[in-house]
Amino acid sequence: MTRIRCVLAMLGTDVHIKGIELLGRRLRDAGIEVIYLGPHNAPTQVAAVAVAEDADAVGISFSTSTYLHHSRSLMTALHDSGWEGAVLVGGLVHHDDGAELHEMGVDGVFPPGSSMDEIVGFLRGLKPETRSANEVTS
Amino acid sequence: MSGEESDVDPASVRLSRTRTWGGLDTESSYGPADAKPDYDRDLGDPGVFPFTRGSYPQMYRSRMWTLRNIVGYGAPDDTRAGLAAARASGTAGTSIVLDALTQEALDPDHPALGADVGMEGCSVGCVRDMERLLRGIDLTTTDVAWHSTMMIYPLVVATATKQGVDLARLQGSHMPDHLQLRLAGWGESLVPAALGHRTAVDTVEFAVRTTPRWSLGLPQAYDLRECGLGPSDEIAVGMAIACQTIEDLQTRGVPVDEVAPSLAWVSGTDMDLFEEVAKFRALRRIWARTMRDRFHAQDKRSMRLRIACHTSGRALVYPQPLNNLTRAAVQTLAALLGGVQSVETCTYDEPISIPSHEARELATRTQQILAHEVGAARTADPLGGSWYVESLTDQVEKAALERLAAIEEIGLVKAVTDGMIESLMAEHNDTVQRELDDGERVVVGVNRFVPPAAESPKRFTFDRSGVEAHLRRFAEMKSARDPALLSQNLAAVLATCRRGENPTQVMVDALVADATVGEVWGTVRVAHGHPYDPFGVVSPPVDLS
Repeated sequence: MTRIRCVLAMLGTDVHIKGIELLGRRLRDAGIEVIYLGPHNAPTQVAAVAVAEDADAVGISFSTSTYLHHSRSLMTALHDSGWEGAVLVGGLVHHDDGAELHEMGVDGVFPPGSSMDEIVGFLRGLKPETRSANEVTS
Repeated sequence: MSGEESDVDPASVRLSRTRTWGGLDTESSYGPADAKPDYDRDLGDPGVFPFTRGSYPQMYRSRMWTLRNIVGYGAPDDTRAGLAAARASGTAGTSIVLDALTQEALDPDHPALGADVGMEGCSVGCVRDMERLLRGIDLTTTDVAWHSTMMIYPLVVATATKQGVDLARLQGSHMPDHLQLRLAGWGESLVPAALGHRTAVDTVEFAVRTTPRWSLGLPQAYDLRECGLGPSDEIAVGMAIACQTIEDLQTRGVPVDEVAPSLAWVSGTDMDLFEEVAKFRALRRIWARTMRDRFHAQDKRSMRLRIACHTSGRALVYPQPLNNLTRAAVQTLAALLGGVQSVETCTYDEPISIPSHEARELATRTQQILAHEVGAARTADPLGGSWYVESLTDQVEKAALERLAAIEEIGLVKAVTDGMIESLMAEHNDTVQRELDDGERVVVGVNRFVPPAAESPKRFTFDRSGVEAHLRRFAEMKSARDPALLSQNLAAVLATCRRGENPTQVMVDALVADATVGEVWGTVRVAHGHPYDPFGVVSPPVDLS
């Protein structure tokens, strides 16, 4: 069985780790493999890990207001690294900024009010073929 | 009738939870059999050991709590404008919050972090920034509370030194609890636990000997609480930090009565009114007994705990943000009924943006309404003697003492590095989230009474041109320095740290000589075997080998 592999990280000076650590636990409970980088990463570091770990997804949590800037830097770094996969952004993301995040290439935006289940569902949706194959064999 | 009722969310007419917000079981009512404190031993009059009922005999009649309002955004000049607005609306205490880079002891010209400069706080990269920020403020008469830990004390002392201020008369406070940063998201890469604890002890030692009128917010239990501790664990982890600090200072020859009177507990209040009141009462009792019985304090001021309270930002939610005004008001009321010495009420828009001027004013008005209309300040310990509150006080105290013993059995620093305390937080957060998911814990607008289509809340924005000018000044200041003098000062920091001595004075000297926050702290890091820049991007300006 190919498990979904997701890098979870924070960028910049943000120290609000509660949400992302909780999400990490929930994703693991849901059978998703989590590569947890914690706070204080540079975009290039996240991109390097995404490549090295052959991750299917990169999830970034923000509780500070500079997420558009950091998301853009991350998308550039991921593009430059040649990594291909889904990018998720969540946390204290203002509803008005969803469109701009999608425009820069973020696949999943999870603003306040999003549930953990929605994020799990989004990640599982990345590999529907493995899920249906598992369902057939199980 | 039945048709109308079927439209009502059942939670609006049914009790959703019988446990406290912190997880203690409660009864449907309490009576004399549930709480039998020995008055003199367990409670005492306000102002009398063990200070359960309050630290001062007259409480708010002799001195009102300090109404504080946190201000800080952009460049020093931006924050000055915010401070003036806060003072104009009746804020007595000047509280300054620094931006994340400054709080993490990183310079504003850090190449990976430029966008964060001046967001969520004021950017201060060097003593010259402090001078701009504090122009016209007398450091011996104005009680500036710095909501910050790393480097802020050396910055204030360096500023005062440049002004020729008598340090023995320096007023104000900061939060020297570096170890808690390690647990509150700074992590081992930014604040290695052993270095963090050592720096706290160094700072407190220097402060009580050099600036005896300076107050020290240690433990800084607020951040820990916000990260994931319940009320009793706030006391347990905070006491473990305070006790280890006092013990280490005793071994350096600084007696408890020279330290404890300068300490103030930095606390939070969550949503459960009665449980939070019980926590403040249990906390004062535990503190008093610990100082007297364990550390053999003689001075009453050592046993009488002062508490600085900030309402919970975590309890505030994004949907329907005006509801946060109610939440902050109840939390503020809990702090006052619990007898704290200062309160900062969160602004309702904290989950959305940097606090707007309007939200800041409403936070001030909340405290003024509680002070002057509600009668919250009239009488000390107004809930004392309530069977329920006395019972909760006993329960919180018991749970806190058990957890404190468990932490101390491992040893504080080891309990941090081994992940024991982080596990407590993770477990707490997991439980809370599960209860939210199950609907057992109701948060209005989040998992019940959710508005069908909420409008996006408005955001506070400010002109970034001040920050750009601030960054230009910073670059000019750096390039105008004498490299030999900089090198000499950083070498002194390096050597002092490597000798295992208290580096606070040489850090101050380096700042006076225009070394930056990032350079001084980076040098301390290198001396202790850590990389100069935790992000691995910036190199030291001089050879630190």
